[in-house]
Amino acid sequence: METMAARPIPAHVPPDMIGNFSLFSSPGLEPTPNGDPQAASAVVHDGPRIFYSPVNTRDGKGTWVITRAQDQRRVLQDPETFSSHRSIFASALGESWQMIPLELDPPEHGKFRSLLNPLLSPKRVMALETAVRERASVLIDRIAAAGTSCDVMTDFAFPFAVNIFLRFLGLSDDRLDEFVGWANDLLHGDNVKRPAAARTIVAFIDELSADRRRQPVDDFMSFLVQSRIDDRPLTDMEIRGTGVLLFIAGLDTVAAAIGFDLNYLARHQADQQWLRDDPKRIVLAAEELLRAYPTVQMIRVATRDVDFEGAPIRKGDYVSCATMIANRDPLEFADPARIDLAREDNRHTAFAYGPHRCLGSHLARREIVVGLEEWLKRIPTFRIKSGTAPVTYGGHVFGIENLILDWSQEDAA
Amino acid sequence: MKIIVHREKCQGHARCWAMAPDIFELDDEGYIMPGDIDVPEEQERLAWMGAKSCPERALDIQK
Ligand code: HEM
Repeated sequence: METMAARPIPAHVPPDMIGNFSLFSSPGLEPTPNGDPQAASAVVHDGPRIFYSPVNTRDGKGTWVITRAQDQRRVLQDPETFSSHRSIFASALGESWQMIPLELDPPEHGKFRSLLNPLLSPKRVMALETAVRERASVLIDRIAAAGTSCDVMTDFAFPFAVNIFLRFLGLSDDRLDEFVGWANDLLHGDNVKRPAAARTIVAFIDELSADRRRQPVDDFMSFLVQSRIDDRPLTDMEIRGTGVLLFIAGLDTVAAAIGFDLNYLARHQADQQWLRDDPKRIVLAAEELLRAYPTVQMIRVATRDVDFEGAPIRKGDYVSCATMIANRDPLEFADPARIDLAREDNRHTAFAYGPHRCLGSHLARREIVVGLEEWLKRIPTFRIKSGTAPVTYGGHVFGIENLILDWSQEDAA
Repeated sequence: MKIIVHREKCQGHARCWAMAPDIFELDDEGYIMPGDIDVPEEQERLAWMGAKSCPERALDIQK
């Protein structure tokens, strides 16, 4: 069904605009022990502002790559020319519904955003803070009681992010491991596991919405099945598309962010100490870490032929706006390779530019800040456990695995 | 000092509000209220930082 075999490069792409770079397979972007995939993607800044990458999606398609933050803003703020209308998830199942709001364009997109925005607005997120903090402290207390080392991703980052998220959806924790497994298969599985996981998630969301329709409770799916747009209830496909997206969007993005942040702090003791000295610094530091370690590549489809800074983009071409590339643009950020936890002028694009700005950005920020605060409060000076090596990977959503941290006295010697 | 609000460009990042909640007010969806903002002198620095924090460049500063 999918292969990484390159498709023929379209004839309209000038040979001198083809770049030898892929977010999936360039050096440091395939799974790499002790890797730094965001830094590895910054090599594109030695090249032109736009080029064509022949293999730059999960299913081996080519994309134009926009390297400058300013140009990414132009693309992402112009959904009429650069559309989000795809069916990535459904097409893997041979279906054609959209994930909502991700794969809709304005003006349809705005109707759903208006419906969903209040649920995750900055003010609403303030009300969730207590629950978020409590969850973080329980998990970290357990880790601290169990020993002087842990696997951050499986023991903290995933259970933390997924729990907050299930709570938002109105689901209990009982099936947390199962959900994490689905998400893992979906995001990182092979040709067999991915569609199977997709099918499982769709069936689960369909069943949940049917349940809530029969018997509404105070949760997200009940809200959705009772909502109206343009004076009509949502269709079954719209409910599915929204439920599925909300289910997967917050699962591993927050976990990956926490992983990359703790990986950084484990390797930079002075910065770790600087945050410990005054935890109020974490709010600003989290922004710098979001700039330096963002995880998402956005893809748009050209709706018409357009010449973009010398590149002949043709209708149907894919255009990639990788947040990790824009966030290390030297024209946008002074000394972008330097990680400065006190950086102020920091208008990064970890949560996108344009109308698709991450719906969960306010919640995600809170989770990251609270997660780091509670971690630093409870865990003494930590480092990468000697003899272990976390594995990082690039791709559509960047990640880190096997992040074993250690805070024992012996290991410090 | 005045902040010119290009509301059609606002995408609800709420960075301005995070910087200065009393100057930049949000609606229930978390997007900036329409209308330009007159800034009292003692709040100019904060307002300036808030305007400069917008990832979409939706806030202009008019002296
Ligand atoms: C650090 C964690 C996160 C990062 C880096 C992140 C990043 C992003 C990015 C870059 C987009 C734009 C995608 C595109 O336009 O193609 C996006 C969209 C979205 N995110 Fe997040 N996200 C995070 C956490 C979350 C959470 C926790 C939730 C849910 C509560 C969430 C829900 C969504 C939704 C629903 C969209 C689609 C918005 C739309 O199309 O209008 N995200 N996210």
